[in-house]
Amino acid sequence: MILPDINLLDFTLYSTSEGPVTPADLIKFIAILSFSIIFSRVLTIYLRRSLKDRVSKDVGEPILKLLYYGTLVVIFISILPLIGLDPSGLLLAGGVAGIVLGFASQNIVGNLVSGCFLMFERPIKIGDQVEVNGIAGYVTDIRIISTLMRTYDGLLVRIPNQQVFTTNITNIVGHPVRRFEYTIRIRYSDDAGAAIWLIKDLIDKEPFALLSPSPSVFVSDLADSWVEIAVRIWAPVSEWFGLKTRLLWNIKKTLEENGIEIPYPQRVLHIKSEEEKKPQVIEEPNENKLEETEPVLNFEERVLN
Amino acid sequence: MYGYYDPPFSVEQEGISISVERTGDRWTYRRTSGKDEVERLILGDRKRIIINPVEPLNTPKEITPNLLIEFEKTLLLAGGEKKQIFLTFPVEIGVFISDTGNKNPQLIDVLTLVRQKFTLYGEVSNGVVCKHWKSRLYSVSPILDPLQEGIMELTLRNASSDWASISKAVFSAYGMKLYYDGDVFMKARMDILNRNTAETGFDIQPINGEMKGYLVKDQKIRKEAFGVYGLRKLGFVPLKFYMGWGF
Repeated sequence: MILPDINLLDFTLYSTSEGPVTPADLIKFIAILSFSIIFSRVLTIYLRRSLKDRVSKDVGEPILKLLYYGTLVVIFISILPLIGLDPSGLLLAGGVAGIVLGFASQNIVGNLVSGCFLMFERPIKIGDQVEVNGIAGYVTDIRIISTLMRTYDGLLVRIPNQQVFTTNITNIVGHPVRRFEYTIRIRYSDDAGAAIWLIKDLIDKEPFALLSPSPSVFVSDLADSWVEIAVRIWAPVSEWFGLKTRLLWNIKKTLEENGIEIPYPQRVLHIKSEEEKKPQVIEEPNENKLEETEPVLNFEERVLN
Repeated sequence: MYGYYDPPFSVEQEGISISVERTGDRWTYRRTSGKDEVERLILGDRKRIIINPVEPLNTPKEITPNLLIEFEKTLLLAGGEKKQIFLTFPVEIGVFISDTGNKNPQLIDVLTLVRQKFTLYGEVSNGVVCKHWKSRLYSVSPILDPLQEGIMELTLRNASSDWASISKAVFSAYGMKLYYDGDVFMKARMDILNRNTAETGFDIQPINGEMKGYLVKDQKIRKEAFGVYGLRKLGFVPLKFYMGWGF
């Protein structure tokens, strides 16, 4: 039996205006594309490592992503003739295809466009502490379609970019400094001036309590049972939480050491006997009508008029 | 206290105690200052300990590379004038370990004896956090405790035609070069560009030959200190500081 001499790589799969496309062309196309993906990935990893100490992550990552996807797109378009596709024709067809794809994948395209805007407008950066749509935590990655966040309790949350872009974003570390506030309550019998001096002294000893903008400590309210002192302190965004938690307890301890106490809710009761209430008229003493001062038991009837 | 030490050694000054002792087949570095105690294990022989002043921006935590020196009195400088003044700056004491020959120094400890405070230079929305220091102004180099304060020779140059009212200066640690020998010394400059902006930087005087790494000033030879920021592999970090929110 004579076997025909057929080269599988040369047989025509289909013909286009560019000429016939053989399995060899298809393999070449796949090989170049695979090599490009591997090369782009290796290059990205290498650049990520070399730029690690020199460029911050929030700047480096978008550049690397742009480089990775940009390289792939350019290579993909330039090797299209291998499989018989004319890139210029693809561009022409792209208009129609774009509309069809746009309708078919509105959400994906929306997320993609939002992702591009997020990368260029940069309302949030990788590493920022933000609150998006009620979710608070650290931004761990901004991808083409979605943004990844790690909540403060360590959960990974993936938020579509369209949602990130169209919702209110609170960037907790957007400014270099931030203010926090305490309300300290002291008794009316305590010296508010001394309390303010003690608190100011404690703030002065804290390195991260900023000198400018200056802290303010003042009597903010004369309440029913206590005097309220407002304490407002500015601190670097990276240090404010540690300072806030540390300083409050120090203020409490220092005030107590100096005899200034945080009061319990209280009411002063003035109990008047019937005798005091009546006008001073001389009456015949009547032993049976002696008024007695009742002990106050009912909370609602504390003040006896 | 500043200098090069070959283990085992022990040095004590102003409440600071630093020692490196042999414990078995390893070395133990110990430092106490007040209530603060630090202990490190060192594996390897023929190591040298270097104690020298470093940029005052490492304690209690490195959160900014900028130092703001507030002048005790506001200074007025006429347009086109160039004057020299002396300021003080806080000193931090850095302890390095290096190979013999003082190669590859590595910071192992840093401490300070002076008060530490931070402030904001500029606006809340886009200002910069700086370490704060208040300094008196001197017309001649003052005598200070080298473990606490250093001397900064500041050359002020008013490039504008107006009078400049100067009450503060901000410096970047990346350009700092400290010298020491009996005192701690830094040579800086401040160029007033216009009513609201100025540029600060440090004068680095490269000296070749035997005197490399030394600063000769007022017939006094000072040794160049190893800096924490100087040891880092820097990318594109500006060595000057542009003061855009006034001075």
